[in-house]
Amino acid sequence: MLLKRILQFFLLYALFIGCLLLLKYSLQLSDYVIPGPVGMLQTLTTKYRSYGLATLNTMSIAVIGQVVSVILAFTLGIIGRQSTWLGSFIKVAAYNIQAYPIVALAPILFILLGDGFLTRLLIAAMICYFPLLLSVLGIMSKPVTDIEHFYRATGRMRWQLEVKIRTFENLNQLTTVIAGSATLAMAGTIVGEFIAANAGIGYTIRIALYQSDLAKILIALFFIGITIAIYQAMLELLGIAIRRAWTGK
Amino acid sequence: MTMILRFLSRSVLVCTLLLFLHSTYCSANDNITYRLKWLRNVSVVGALYAEHNQLFSKAGLNVTVKPGGPERDAIRELELGRADFGVASADQVLRARAKGAPIVVIAQLFQINPLQWIYRPEKLQLGSLADLKEKVIGVTFGGNDESIMRTLLAEGNLDSSQVRLFSVRYDYTPFYRKRVQLWPVYRNAQGPIITAQLAQEGEKTAYFNPADFGVKFVANSVVTHVRTLKEKPELVQRFLGVLLSGWQQALDPENEKAVLSLLQHYEPNIPQTIQQEQLRITRTLIQPDPTVAIGRIDHAGWDQTQEIMVSQKLLPHTFALQEILKPQKSL
Amino acid sequence: MAQGATTTAESMSLICEKLTFTYPAKEAPILAQVSFQLITPGFHSFFGPSGAGKTTLAKIITGELHDYTGQLITNGLDRILYSHNKERLPGWSSVDHHLSKVITPSLLPEKDKLVDLFGLADCVNARFDQLSMGQQNRVNLIRYLLQDCDLLIMDESLANVDELTRETIILSLKEMFPARYFIYISHNAREVAKFCDSILVFQGSNQVHAPRMLQGCNVRTNTERNSAELDAVLLEIMNAA
Repeated sequence: MLLKRILQFFLLYALFIGCLLLLKYSLQLSDYVIPGPVGMLQTLTTKYRSYGLATLNTMSIAVIGQVVSVILAFTLGIIGRQSTWLGSFIKVAAYNIQAYPIVALAPILFILLGDGFLTRLLIAAMICYFPLLLSVLGIMSKPVTDIEHFYRATGRMRWQLEVKIRTFENLNQLTTVIAGSATLAMAGTIVGEFIAANAGIGYTIRIALYQSDLAKILIALFFIGITIAIYQAMLELLGIAIRRAWTGK
Repeated sequence: MTMILRFLSRSVLVCTLLLFLHSTYCSANDNITYRLKWLRNVSVVGALYAEHNQLFSKAGLNVTVKPGGPERDAIRELELGRADFGVASADQVLRARAKGAPIVVIAQLFQINPLQWIYRPEKLQLGSLADLKEKVIGVTFGGNDESIMRTLLAEGNLDSSQVRLFSVRYDYTPFYRKRVQLWPVYRNAQGPIITAQLAQEGEKTAYFNPADFGVKFVANSVVTHVRTLKEKPELVQRFLGVLLSGWQQALDPENEKAVLSLLQHYEPNIPQTIQQEQLRITRTLIQPDPTVAIGRIDHAGWDQTQEIMVSQKLLPHTFALQEILKPQKSL
Repeated sequence: MAQGATTTAESMSLICEKLTFTYPAKEAPILAQVSFQLITPGFHSFFGPSGAGKTTLAKIITGELHDYTGQLITNGLDRILYSHNKERLPGWSSVDHHLSKVITPSLLPEKDKLVDLFGLADCVNARFDQLSMGQQNRVNLIRYLLQDCDLLIMDESLANVDELTRETIILSLKEMFPARYFIYISHNAREVAKFCDSILVFQGSNQVHAPRMLQGCNVRTNTERNSAELDAVLLEIMNAA
């Protein structure tokens, strides 16, 4: 699966670069508008180390951000699943927070938390958590009556058991959503770095944009893409391992 | 019969295509797009004045003035044929030329770079570049203020470990909170706003101008495609003549009332007293000396800009600037 | 021995008087003027075609559905459970593990006994979804049987189980839980006629008459089988349905 993901990414990236080059040569555009293959290769050889490290830096924040958002989504999803006042309050609050564009909230975070690790982490988690929350809320709010009936009828139902049953019954959906949210976590971190950080690949892209250097941006996109492909494949493999261990299939 | 039909249909197709191309070419001649570097504010007041008072149309030009922004790059738009003229900073122009972009500079708008550092003179004395030592200085990493500051530090025999460079964002809180001692601003646009805000708190402000310390880094210039200059020199002359006339009239104190009302239209949230100050400063940056024509290209400034960029490895080598700088006869 | 055996089974009864129930979105009642009495423990049945209201009545008895008119008296039947054939056990561990977790430790020998009687000894270490449908229903029934309850409603709880095993199970239940009330919902006329004490026969969904209570053969282990009596009950059921 890992190899498949990497190959798929290489294919997509090659297609993307191919289209850009086709545009460049057919419209006779300069290297300023679209860099040539030599320029891209030169940028890759001079920048691979610093961009690779910047991407890993971003990735580490994205992973922590995703873990935080999974915990957050599960916590809110578990509390919000109940049709109580608190449950409905949490749902409304979660939807409202998502309604504010992150670029509007980012300066506030920047003032409160500075331009370091925490701001990046929070922005990554905020962008990543909402789709997760929607899935978790949906799953946790929907009773699995054919299993839960016995525990309710006999007075054995506890919230932990309820969560366990609903998680187990929707394991495929949950692992897919979590693996998919990796992309959002990475995108969130990059947005955070772009707006309010002094490190990471998002910050590097910002500098490249100031310098109007598309070659650097294309190389940054390459590193981002390959890292996401590997991370997502690893999450999918982890999901399969968890499913095997828990369901015995 | 079939052969004739096929021939006729092909002829119609070719004719339609030729007509379409011709009409596109004609409309490209009549319609001119001018892409600004930034949003509509005091830094582009000359173009706004020309547009508002229909100076372009009076000269027989149908000009659409489009605002710029961080995601707009006039040079790319020139190359892609989406704009005919645009505004770009000198570093942008040099970077683009280094990568083969076929653009030329036809006028230089700012004779003094408006990008300067604001500071509190009561807390900071900046008599020489050595005074920057151990100061917290805001810079936009990757921006041309970083290049300027690094040059200033080099000129003052300081290395970056002897100062603290602080990454600048959209928000001025670190400067207001005094976490940063020098903050980069556009002297004519944001400068008066911040000065007024700090004055309310009883704080004085001053500006650290790199040019005062011998560092000239050229700012905004008017650019066009090499092809446009070669094929339509008369159009370039006419356009630039009107644009610079717009600047001339906009900066003329006699027209101040009309200009201020124009600026109020685009930035109604800024008090008119501040806009008046913005306009006053803009005059000194566009035409610091009445003997110097608006739009003059400062070759020495371009030379130094190029040297700074080469020394900081932002350019691979120097260029023959006469290939890039094409001042027009009317100037 | 069985749960509920310590209480006085004679003091318990289920009395239903002119019970009528209409689902909120419907115009016609699904149950109209239903009256019956269960005054002795043992095997009783709700019999009738699908959609006749058997499960609805079961849910009213367990308290899952309200807003009915008429009277329902669960005299002494404090603990009522309802089980059905669509129920599942969680899939994260073996059936035996799940059963052991929901049964009082003192009843674990009973569980083992029921596992043997129900023919499940070979499959209790498998996960629930690895069992056949008949095995799944039997496992589900075991966990209900070993709960502390006075009345257990078994809604098609022995579906997909072969006839011989069903017979063994029903006869064992009668022996092991003599003081407990069972309401067995089934579509098998012969089975309910043979093993049930009383049978509430429902008509189709467009029923004209209220369900009728009939007397069944109530066959137990070692009871002599009287086929004429069984045929008579069957005929009565067919006439009432």
